[in-house]
Amino acid sequence: MHIPDHVLSQPVLIASGAIALGGFSLGLKRLERRLRDRTVVLMGIMAAFVFAAQMVNFPLLVLPASGHLIGGVLAAVMLGPWAGAVVMGTVLLVQCLLFADGGILALGANFVNLGLIASVGGYAIYDPIRRGVGGRAGVMLGAMVAAWFSVLLASLAFAIELAGSGWWEQLPEVLGWMALVHAAIGLGEAMITGLVLRSVLAVRPDLIFGVVEQGDAPPRWGRVALAGLGVALAVAAFLAPMASPLDDGLEFVGGRLGFLSGEEPAMISGPMADYSLKGLPDIAPVTAAAGLIGTVTVFAAGWFLGRASTGIASRLERSPEGPRSGGEGPEPHAA
Amino acid sequence: MRLDWLEGPGSAGGPLHRLDARVKLAAVVGFVLAVVLVPMGSWRPLGIAGMVLAGLVGLSGVAPSLLLRRIAALMPVVVVLAAVIAPTHPKASALGAWAVGGTIVAKNALTIGAILLFARVTCFRSVLGALSWFRVPPALVATLHLMYRYLFVLSDQLGRMARARRSRSFRRSRWAEWPLGAGLIAALMLRSFERGERVHAAMLARGWDGTVRSLDGPDRPETLPPT
Repeated sequence: MHIPDHVLSQPVLIASGAIALGGFSLGLKRLERRLRDRTVVLMGIMAAFVFAAQMVNFPLLVLPASGHLIGGVLAAVMLGPWAGAVVMGTVLLVQCLLFADGGILALGANFVNLGLIASVGGYAIYDPIRRGVGGRAGVMLGAMVAAWFSVLLASLAFAIELAGSGWWEQLPEVLGWMALVHAAIGLGEAMITGLVLRSVLAVRPDLIFGVVEQGDAPPRWGRVALAGLGVALAVAAFLAPMASPLDDGLEFVGGRLGFLSGEEPAMISGPMADYSLKGLPDIAPVTAAAGLIGTVTVFAAGWFLGRASTGIASRLERSPEGPRSGGEGPEPHAA
Repeated sequence: MRLDWLEGPGSAGGPLHRLDARVKLAAVVGFVLAVVLVPMGSWRPLGIAGMVLAGLVGLSGVAPSLLLRRIAALMPVVVVLAAVIAPTHPKASALGAWAVGGTIVAKNALTIGAILLFARVTCFRSVLGALSWFRVPPALVATLHLMYRYLFVLSDQLGRMARARRSRSFRRSRWAEWPLGAGLIAALMLRSFERGERVHAAMLARGWDGTVRSLDGPDRPETLPPT
């Protein structure tokens, strides 16, 4: 589900639209320089793939509902950051024009969140981890951590866009709720991304973007700085609800000065008012705990899956037949 | 899952199907803009917009129940967002939170309905023709063209793979769905990659130079025969 029209204010829509347009054309330019006439074919078919992959449902283990892969980080890991962003932009455009999923005017905001931030930002987190850890385990760990943070960063961006539409004083609260919900979604995204990459690494590790050409050279400083910024922002999203005393202080000052007085009756009479006000003190520790648990879980799962896939891959490479992609026949006994 | 929505021109083939795609694209964007610019709590323009949309649906011959079901499927997220926004909206003190929330929901239902109607009465090929007429970069239009072409191929392939997997696994736990589904995605991704390479080689062999050509230009109306 994407941002519909009529939720963000017009200045936010125009600003995000301009950023999206610039980002998309920059991505397309860079791709055409790299891929030349292959661009269109590869982007088209991978966009169709992402669309199809989003149809695979994963049951949530506790709720009678299911979720699906978003695919921004997966596309970036396989194709490179800008290609991932272009693929996601194409998917979003088709979803908007054909299925009315996400508004036409909010297309820019959706592309900023799910294309630029998820793919380009996610790659900036993935790349230093991959090079730092090295090998297949690096790919797995980097991609899973990046998938988890990309979902968080996208939700953070949405919270900021929402707040920019006239709800600045509610930003910490919106951030807290968004971060809490998306911590769970991000865990799922990280697990699916990791499991998909485990299969890819076992069969065609050469297809992963940049692994063959760049190897495990130390990460570039700019990438590390970007990754650090992204992680810091995501952490800030978890810590933001902790800043509730500050928020109350701001409201107190606003009430004293009179510039928030217009909102007061609505806050009390609104149907959601007591919900949002009472929710504030409870959610802060929960959100922070979810952030901590989620980060630790993703790191642990990435490390575990990375180790396991390294083991499988090295066993396969040592076996005389080479890697096996099919499932025909029983497993040969290890010599 | 949702591809059944994309049948191109519907079986009815009403007057809206035959209308130039450029006119329809401009009209739907204009409709969305007009609805966005309606101020909060003014129901009369929204009612007029709703009547216009209802009239167009009636003219098009698209089954209203189909549209309504699809709109209803997209509404929960809108309702949640409206409930978050409405209590503290700047206009909420004057109009009441329910009026603001109701306006947000009504506006979104109108624009979603308009886009769905547009998608239903315009085949995607002519949408792409209209996009390139409106000076959308050719690389993006060509990418969309190929994406649309392979959407059905890949989703059919995914369906076959999922069926094969179901027929091989006797017992499934909810936990097992995750690695199985991820394996499905990985296999589909590798096959898409390889298919992309084959398709590119085949296109080069047929003289591909980076532009998608078709026999009917963007200014021609729908030429697909009604199915």
